[in-house]
Amino acid sequence: IPPGKPSLTSCRSPEKETFTCWWKPSYTGGLPTTYHLYYRLENSEIVRECPDYHTAGQNSCFFNKNETTIWRTYNITVVATNRLGSNYSDPVDIDVVYIVQPHTPENVTVLVMKEDDPVPYLRVSWEKPRNADTRSGWITLIYQLRIRMKNQDEWEEHDAGQQKVFNVFTPHSGGTYMVQVRCRPDHGLWSEWSPPTYVEVPDYL
Amino acid sequence: VVVLWCVTVSSEALNLSDLLERVSMASDKLHSLSTSLTSDVGSQLPPIFKIMRPSQCHTSSLQTPTDKEQALNVPEEELLSLARSLLLSWSDPLAVLLAEAHNLVHPDKSAILSKTKDLHLHSSSLGAGLEHLIHKMGAQSQGIISLPYNGDVGTDKNASLSNFYFLLTCFRRDSHKIDSFLKVLRCRASKRPEMC
Ligand code: NA
Ligand code: NA
Ligand code: NA
Repeated sequence: IPPGKPSLTSCRSPEKETFTCWWKPSYTGGLPTTYHLYYRLENSEIVRECPDYHTAGQNSCFFNKNETTIWRTYNITVVATNRLGSNYSDPVDIDVVYIVQPHTPENVTVLVMKEDDPVPYLRVSWEKPRNADTRSGWITLIYQLRIRMKNQDEWEEHDAGQQKVFNVFTPHSGGTYMVQVRCRPDHGLWSEWSPPTYVEVPDYL
Repeated sequence: VVVLWCVTVSSEALNLSDLLERVSMASDKLHSLSTSLTSDVGSQLPPIFKIMRPSQCHTSSLQTPTDKEQALNVPEEELLSLARSLLLSWSDPLAVLLAEAHNLVHPDKSAILSKTKDLHLHSSSLGAGLEHLIHKMGAQSQGIISLPYNGDVGTDKNASLSNFYFLLTCFRRDSHKIDSFLKVLRCRASKRPEMC
Protein backbone atom coordinates (compact mmCIF):
# COMPACT_ATOMS: atom_id res chain seq x y z
CA ILE A 1 0.00 0.00 0.00
CA PRO A 2 1.10 3.64 -0.51
CA PRO A 3 2.31 5.57 2.57
CA GLY A 4 -0.21 6.90 5.10
CA LYS A 5 -1.00 10.56 5.40
CA PRO A 6 1.85 12.54 7.03
CA SER A 7 0.98 15.45 9.33
CA LEU A 8 2.66 18.76 10.00
CA THR A 9 3.02 18.89 13.78
CA SER A 10 4.32 22.41 14.39
CA CYS A 11 6.22 25.39 13.05
CA ARG A 12 8.24 27.66 15.34
CA SER A 13 10.44 30.72 15.04
CA PRO A 14 12.84 31.40 17.92
CA GLU A 15 13.65 35.02 17.01
CA LYS A 16 11.23 36.31 14.32
CA GLU A 17 14.01 35.87 11.74
CA THR A 18 14.07 32.15 10.84
CA PHE A 19 11.66 29.26 11.36
CA THR A 20 11.40 25.49 11.36
CA CYS A 21 8.52 23.14 10.64
CA TRP A 22 8.32 19.54 11.85
CA TRP A 23 6.17 16.66 10.65
CA LYS A 24 5.18 13.23 11.88
CA PRO A 25 6.11 10.41 9.50
CA SER A 26 3.22 8.29 8.31
CA TYR A 27 2.64 4.55 8.19
CA THR A 28 4.97 3.11 5.59
CA GLY A 29 4.51 -0.67 5.90
CA GLY A 30 8.28 -0.93 6.18
CA LEU A 31 8.87 0.39 2.65
CA PRO A 32 11.58 3.01 2.16
CA THR A 33 9.70 6.31 2.17
CA THR A 34 10.87 9.84 1.48
CA TYR A 35 9.30 13.08 2.70
CA HIS A 36 9.23 16.37 0.89
CA LEU A 37 7.88 19.67 2.14
CA TYR A 38 6.40 22.13 -0.33
CA TYR A 39 5.21 25.65 0.30
CA ARG A 40 3.53 28.49 -1.51
CA LEU A 41 3.84 32.07 -0.33
CA GLU A 42 0.81 34.34 -0.22
CA ASN A 43 0.44 36.29 -3.48
CA SER A 44 2.61 33.85 -5.36
CA GLU A 45 1.69 30.99 -7.68
CA ILE A 46 5.10 29.39 -7.36
CA VAL A 47 5.36 26.20 -5.32
CA ARG A 48 8.79 25.82 -3.75
CA GLU A 49 10.44 22.92 -2.00
CA CYS A 50 11.92 23.01 1.50
CA PRO A 51 15.26 24.83 1.33
CA ASP A 52 17.00 22.83 4.09
CA TYR A 53 16.10 19.37 5.42
CA HIS A 54 19.28 19.01 7.51
CA THR A 55 19.86 21.93 9.88
CA ALA A 56 16.95 21.20 12.24
CA GLY A 57 17.29 17.42 12.28
CA GLN A 58 15.01 14.57 11.22
CA ASN A 59 11.53 15.23 9.85
CA SER A 60 12.00 18.96 9.74
CA CYS A 61 12.52 21.83 7.38
CA PHE A 62 14.53 24.92 8.26
CA PHE A 63 13.97 28.34 6.66
CA ASN A 64 16.95 30.65 7.05
CA LYS A 65 16.83 34.46 7.18
CA ASN A 66 16.74 34.83 3.42
CA GLU A 67 13.86 32.39 3.12
CA THR A 68 11.84 33.85 5.98
CA THR A 69 9.43 36.71 5.54
CA ILE A 70 6.80 37.86 7.99
CA TRP A 71 3.25 39.19 7.50
CA ARG A 72 2.95 36.80 4.56
CA THR A 73 1.21 33.47 4.79
CA TYR A 74 3.08 30.25 3.94
CA ASN A 75 0.80 27.47 2.73
CA ILE A 76 2.71 24.30 3.61
CA THR A 77 2.20 20.65 2.64
CA VAL A 78 4.27 17.53 3.33
CA VAL A 79 4.31 14.65 0.84
CA ALA A 80 5.29 11.07 1.71
CA THR A 81 6.38 8.93 -1.24
CA ASN A 82 7.38 5.29 -1.67
CA ARG A 83 7.43 2.97 -4.69
CA LEU A 84 3.70 2.32 -4.33
CA GLY A 85 2.62 5.96 -4.37
CA SER A 86 2.33 9.26 -2.49
CA ASN A 87 0.20 10.78 0.22
CA TYR A 88 -0.24 14.43 1.17
CA SER A 89 -0.65 16.07 4.57
CA ASP A 90 -3.44 18.55 5.15
CA PRO A 91 -2.03 21.94 4.15
CA VAL A 92 -1.29 24.42 6.95
CA ASP A 93 -1.27 28.21 6.71
CA ILE A 94 1.27 29.97 8.89
CA ASP A 95 2.40 33.55 9.37
CA VAL A 96 5.76 33.61 11.14
CA VAL A 97 4.65 36.41 13.50
CA TYR A 98 2.27 34.00 15.23
CA ILE A 99 4.69 31.13 15.82
CA VAL A 100 7.46 32.97 17.69
CA GLN A 101 8.71 30.98 20.69
CA PRO A 102 12.08 32.14 22.02
CA HIS A 103 14.87 30.03 23.41
CA THR A 104 15.18 30.08 27.21
CA PRO A 105 16.84 33.01 29.01
CA GLU A 106 20.53 32.42 29.73
CA ASN A 107 22.98 32.72 32.64
CA VAL A 108 20.35 32.75 35.38
CA THR A 109 22.12 33.91 38.54
CA VAL A 110 20.74 34.12 42.08
CA LEU A 111 22.47 36.12 44.80
CA VAL A 112 21.58 36.30 48.49
CA MET A 113 21.52 40.00 49.36
CA LYS A 114 21.94 41.03 52.98
CA GLU A 115 22.74 44.73 53.15
CA ASP A 116 21.47 46.33 56.37
CA ASP A 117 18.18 44.55 56.50
CA PRO A 118 18.17 41.58 58.89
CA VAL A 119 16.05 39.62 56.42
CA PRO A 120 17.97 38.76 53.27
CA TYR A 121 16.41 38.78 49.85
CA LEU A 122 17.27 37.07 46.61
CA ARG A 123 18.40 38.96 43.56
CA VAL A 124 17.68 36.93 40.43
CA SER A 125 19.24 38.11 37.18
CA TRP A 126 19.54 36.61 33.70
CA GLU A 127 20.31 37.40 30.09
CA LYS A 128 18.11 37.31 27.03
CA PRO A 129 18.40 34.29 24.74
CA ARG A 130 21.51 34.92 22.65
CA ASN A 131 19.81 34.88 19.24
CA ALA A 132 16.97 37.28 20.09
CA ASP A 133 17.72 40.76 18.74
CA THR A 134 15.95 42.76 21.44
CA ARG A 135 18.47 45.59 21.13
CA SER A 136 17.09 46.80 17.80
CA GLY A 137 13.53 46.43 19.03
CA TRP A 138 12.84 43.77 16.39
CA ILE A 139 11.70 41.42 19.13
CA THR A 140 10.43 42.45 22.55
CA LEU A 141 10.70 39.92 25.36
CA ILE A 142 8.98 39.79 28.70
CA TYR A 143 10.16 37.53 31.50
CA GLN A 144 8.64 35.45 34.24
CA LEU A 145 10.42 33.67 37.06
CA ARG A 146 9.34 30.99 39.47
CA ILE A 147 10.86 29.97 42.76
CA ARG A 148 10.29 27.21 45.31
CA MET A 149 12.06 25.53 48.17
CA LYS A 150 13.74 22.36 47.03
CA ASN A 151 11.56 20.15 49.27
CA GLN A 152 8.24 21.78 48.40
CA ASP A 153 5.91 21.41 45.42
CA GLU A 154 4.36 24.84 45.14
CA TRP A 155 6.00 27.37 42.83
CA GLU A 156 5.69 31.08 43.44
CA GLU A 157 5.56 32.97 40.14
CA HIS A 158 6.65 36.55 39.47
CA ASP A 159 6.28 38.70 36.37
CA ALA A 160 9.41 40.74 35.68
CA GLY A 161 8.17 42.56 32.57
CA GLN A 162 11.04 43.52 30.27
CA GLN A 163 13.51 43.70 33.16
CA LYS A 164 16.31 41.18 33.46
CA VAL A 165 16.67 41.41 37.22
CA PHE A 166 14.11 40.72 39.94
CA ASN A 167 14.27 40.77 43.73
CA VAL A 168 12.38 38.13 45.68
CA PHE A 169 11.70 39.03 49.29
CA THR A 170 11.02 37.10 52.50
CA PRO A 171 12.43 33.71 51.78
CA HIS A 172 12.32 31.24 54.67
CA SER A 173 15.30 31.31 56.96
CA GLY A 174 17.65 28.55 55.89
CA GLY A 175 17.09 26.13 53.02
CA THR A 176 17.76 25.54 49.37
CA TYR A 177 15.72 27.42 46.77
CA MET A 178 15.24 26.58 43.12
CA VAL A 179 14.76 29.35 40.56
CA GLN A 180 13.77 29.18 36.88
CA VAL A 181 13.18 31.91 34.31
CA ARG A 182 11.30 31.91 31.00
CA CYS A 183 10.43 34.52 28.41
CA ARG A 184 7.94 35.24 25.70
CA PRO A 185 7.74 37.82 22.96
CA ASP A 186 5.13 40.58 23.21
CA HIS A 187 2.72 38.60 21.01
CA GLY A 188 3.99 35.03 21.09
CA LEU A 189 4.59 31.85 23.01
CA TRP A 190 6.42 31.15 26.27
CA SER A 191 9.88 29.62 26.04
CA GLU A 192 10.76 26.56 28.08
CA TRP A 193 11.82 27.24 31.67
CA SER A 194 15.57 27.62 32.15
CA PRO A 195 17.35 24.74 33.91
CA PRO A 196 16.96 25.26 37.68
CA THR A 197 19.46 27.46 39.51
CA TYR A 198 19.92 26.57 43.18
CA VAL A 199 20.68 28.94 46.01
CA GLU A 200 21.35 28.37 49.69
CA VAL A 201 19.61 30.83 52.03
CA PRO A 202 21.45 31.15 55.37
CA ASP A 203 19.73 30.85 58.76
CA TYR A 204 19.01 34.39 59.82
CA LEU A 205 16.52 33.95 62.67
CA VAL B 1 -11.08 57.54 28.56
CA VAL B 2 -7.92 57.17 30.60
CA VAL B 3 -6.00 56.04 27.53
CA LEU B 4 -7.25 58.98 25.48
CA TRP B 5 -6.06 61.35 28.14
CA CYS B 6 -2.66 59.67 28.42
CA VAL B 7 -1.87 59.79 24.73
CA THR B 8 -3.39 63.06 23.64
CA VAL B 9 -3.63 65.57 26.45
CA SER B 10 -0.39 65.06 28.27
CA SER B 11 1.84 64.27 25.32
CA GLU B 12 2.92 67.85 24.61
CA ALA B 13 5.04 67.72 27.72
CA LEU B 14 6.66 64.40 26.87
CA ASN B 15 9.99 63.98 25.19
CA LEU B 16 10.39 61.72 22.17
CA SER B 17 11.45 58.68 24.15
CA ASP B 18 8.49 58.87 26.56
CA LEU B 19 6.08 59.49 23.73
CA LEU B 20 7.37 56.44 21.86
CA GLU B 21 7.03 54.45 25.06
CA ARG B 22 3.35 55.48 25.25
CA VAL B 23 2.42 54.93 21.64
CA SER B 24 4.06 51.50 21.61
CA MET B 25 2.13 50.55 24.75
CA ALA B 26 -1.01 51.67 22.94
CA SER B 27 -0.15 49.74 19.77
CA ASP B 28 0.64 46.65 21.85
CA LYS B 29 -2.77 46.88 23.45
CA LEU B 30 -4.49 47.50 20.12
CA HIS B 31 -2.92 44.40 18.59
CA SER B 32 -3.78 42.23 21.60
CA LEU B 33 -7.34 43.46 21.42
CA SER B 34 -7.58 42.66 17.72
CA THR B 35 -6.23 39.15 18.36
CA SER B 36 -8.75 38.54 21.10
CA LEU B 37 -11.65 39.88 19.03
CA THR B 38 -10.61 37.85 15.97
CA SER B 39 -10.60 34.73 18.08
CA ASP B 40 -14.03 35.51 19.61
CA VAL B 41 -15.60 36.06 16.21
CA GLY B 42 -13.81 33.08 14.63
CA SER B 43 -14.98 30.70 17.35
CA GLN B 44 -18.41 30.49 15.69
CA LEU B 45 -17.30 30.27 12.09
CA PRO B 46 -16.97 26.99 10.23
CA PRO B 47 -13.48 26.65 8.66
CA ILE B 48 -14.85 27.25 5.17
CA PHE B 49 -15.67 30.84 6.16
CA LYS B 50 -12.23 31.34 7.63
CA ILE B 51 -10.13 30.89 4.51
CA MET B 52 -7.38 33.48 4.71
CA ARG B 53 -7.33 35.93 1.86
CA PRO B 54 -4.99 38.62 3.16
CA SER B 55 -4.00 39.65 -0.35
CA GLN B 56 -7.52 41.06 -0.62
CA CYS B 57 -7.11 43.32 2.41
CA HIS B 58 -7.60 46.92 1.34
CA THR B 59 -4.15 47.81 2.70
CA SER B 60 -2.29 45.05 0.87
CA SER B 61 -1.02 47.41 -1.83
CA LEU B 62 0.99 49.40 0.71
CA GLN B 63 4.62 48.33 0.45
CA THR B 64 5.96 47.53 3.89
CA PRO B 65 9.13 45.75 5.05
CA THR B 66 8.80 41.95 5.18
CA ASP B 67 11.65 41.05 7.51
CA LYS B 68 14.07 42.45 10.06
CA GLU B 69 16.78 43.42 7.63
CA GLN B 70 14.34 45.47 5.57
CA ALA B 71 12.61 47.01 8.58
CA LEU B 72 15.85 48.14 10.20
CA ASN B 73 16.95 49.75 6.95
CA VAL B 74 13.88 51.94 6.62
CA PRO B 75 14.53 55.53 7.77
CA GLU B 76 12.77 56.44 11.02
CA GLU B 77 10.45 58.99 9.47
CA GLU B 78 9.36 56.48 6.89
CA LEU B 79 8.63 53.77 9.48
CA LEU B 80 6.50 56.26 11.36
CA SER B 81 4.75 57.32 8.20
CA LEU B 82 4.00 53.67 7.31
CA ALA B 83 2.51 53.13 10.78
CA ARG B 84 0.38 56.26 10.41
CA SER B 85 -0.76 55.36 6.89
CA LEU B 86 -1.80 51.88 8.00
CA LEU B 87 -3.77 53.20 10.94
CA LEU B 88 -5.35 56.01 8.93
CA SER B 89 -6.48 53.48 6.33
CA TRP B 90 -8.48 51.75 9.06
CA SER B 91 -10.58 54.76 10.08
CA ASP B 92 -13.45 53.92 7.71
CA PRO B 93 -13.49 50.14 7.98
CA LEU B 94 -13.30 50.31 11.79
CA ALA B 95 -16.36 52.55 11.75
CA VAL B 96 -18.07 49.98 9.51
CA LEU B 97 -17.13 47.21 11.94
CA LEU B 98 -18.51 49.18 14.86
CA ALA B 99 -21.81 49.80 13.07
CA GLU B 100 -21.97 46.17 11.99
CA ALA B 101 -21.20 44.79 15.47
CA HIS B 102 -24.70 45.92 16.52
CA ASN B 103 -26.28 43.65 13.90
CA LEU B 104 -24.15 40.54 14.26
CA VAL B 105 -25.80 37.23 14.98
CA HIS B 106 -23.40 35.61 17.43
CA PRO B 107 -23.67 34.06 20.92
CA ASP B 108 -20.86 36.31 22.21
CA LYS B 109 -22.37 39.41 20.66
CA SER B 110 -22.11 41.63 23.75
CA ALA B 111 -18.41 40.80 24.26
CA ILE B 112 -17.78 41.38 20.55
CA LEU B 113 -19.62 44.69 20.59
CA SER B 114 -17.70 45.87 23.64
CA LYS B 115 -14.32 44.84 22.19
CA THR B 116 -15.15 46.44 18.85
CA LYS B 117 -15.90 49.70 20.69
CA ASP B 118 -12.56 49.39 22.50
CA LEU B 119 -10.80 48.71 19.23
CA HIS B 120 -12.31 51.84 17.73
CA LEU B 121 -11.44 53.94 20.77
CA HIS B 122 -7.87 52.66 21.09
CA SER B 123 -7.31 53.13 17.42
CA SER B 124 -8.37 56.81 17.56
CA SER B 125 -6.24 57.33 20.62
CA LEU B 126 -3.19 55.76 18.98
CA GLY B 127 -3.84 57.87 15.89
CA ALA B 128 -3.73 61.02 18.00
CA GLY B 129 -0.50 59.82 19.62
CA LEU B 130 1.05 59.20 16.20
CA GLU B 131 0.07 62.70 15.08
CA HIS B 132 1.95 64.13 18.06
CA LEU B 133 4.90 61.91 17.32
CA ILE B 134 5.02 63.05 13.70
CA HIS B 135 4.93 66.64 14.89
CA LYS B 136 7.62 65.96 17.49
CA MET B 137 9.93 64.22 15.05
CA GLY B 138 9.44 67.05 12.57
CA ALA B 139 8.53 64.38 10.05
CA GLN B 140 7.05 65.21 6.66
CA SER B 141 3.43 64.28 6.31
CA GLN B 142 3.40 64.01 2.51
CA GLY B 143 4.33 60.36 2.79
CA ILE B 144 1.18 59.60 4.74
CA ILE B 145 -1.66 58.13 2.74
CA SER B 146 -5.01 56.60 3.51
CA LEU B 147 -5.93 53.63 1.37
CA PRO B 148 -9.61 53.65 0.41
CA TYR B 149 -11.96 51.05 1.80
CA ASN B 150 -14.84 50.37 -0.56
CA GLY B 151 -16.32 47.21 0.84
CA ASP B 152 -19.31 46.64 3.01
CA VAL B 153 -19.88 43.78 5.36
CA GLY B 154 -22.86 42.24 3.58
CA THR B 155 -26.40 41.40 4.59
CA ASP B 156 -26.55 37.63 4.44
CA LYS B 157 -25.96 36.26 7.95
CA ASN B 158 -23.00 33.98 7.15
CA ALA B 159 -21.48 36.40 4.68
CA SER B 160 -21.75 39.16 7.23
CA LEU B 161 -19.99 37.22 9.99
CA SER B 162 -17.41 35.93 7.58
CA ASN B 163 -16.66 39.41 6.22
CA PHE B 164 -16.48 40.77 9.74
CA TYR B 165 -13.92 38.09 10.50
CA PHE B 166 -12.04 38.77 7.28
CA LEU B 167 -11.73 42.47 8.10
CA LEU B 168 -10.50 41.60 11.58
CA THR B 169 -7.79 39.30 10.25
CA CYS B 170 -6.64 42.16 8.01
CA PHE B 171 -6.62 44.55 10.94
CA ARG B 172 -4.80 42.05 13.13
CA ARG B 173 -1.97 41.86 10.62
CA ASP B 174 -1.80 45.63 10.15
CA SER B 175 -1.89 46.32 13.88
CA HIS B 176 1.02 43.89 14.29
CA LYS B 177 2.98 45.80 11.65
CA ILE B 178 2.21 49.11 13.36
CA ASP B 179 3.26 47.68 16.73
CA SER B 180 6.49 46.25 15.32
CA PHE B 181 7.48 49.50 13.58
CA LEU B 182 6.78 51.56 16.70
CA LYS B 183 8.78 49.20 18.90
CA VAL B 184 11.79 49.51 16.60
CA LEU B 185 11.46 53.31 16.86
CA ARG B 186 11.06 53.04 20.63
CA CYS B 187 14.33 51.15 21.03
CA ARG B 188 16.22 53.61 18.82
CA ALA B 189 15.06 56.52 20.97
CA SER B 190 15.18 54.68 24.29
CA LYS B 191 16.76 56.21 27.34
CA ARG B 192 16.89 52.75 28.82
CA PRO B 193 18.44 50.60 26.08
CA GLU B 194 18.96 47.78 28.59
CA MET B 195 15.19 47.26 28.49
CA CYS B 196 15.31 46.61 24.76
NA1 NA C 1 15.06 17.44 8.28
NA1 NA D 1 14.24 37.32 5.65
NA1 NA E 1 13.05 43.43 24.87
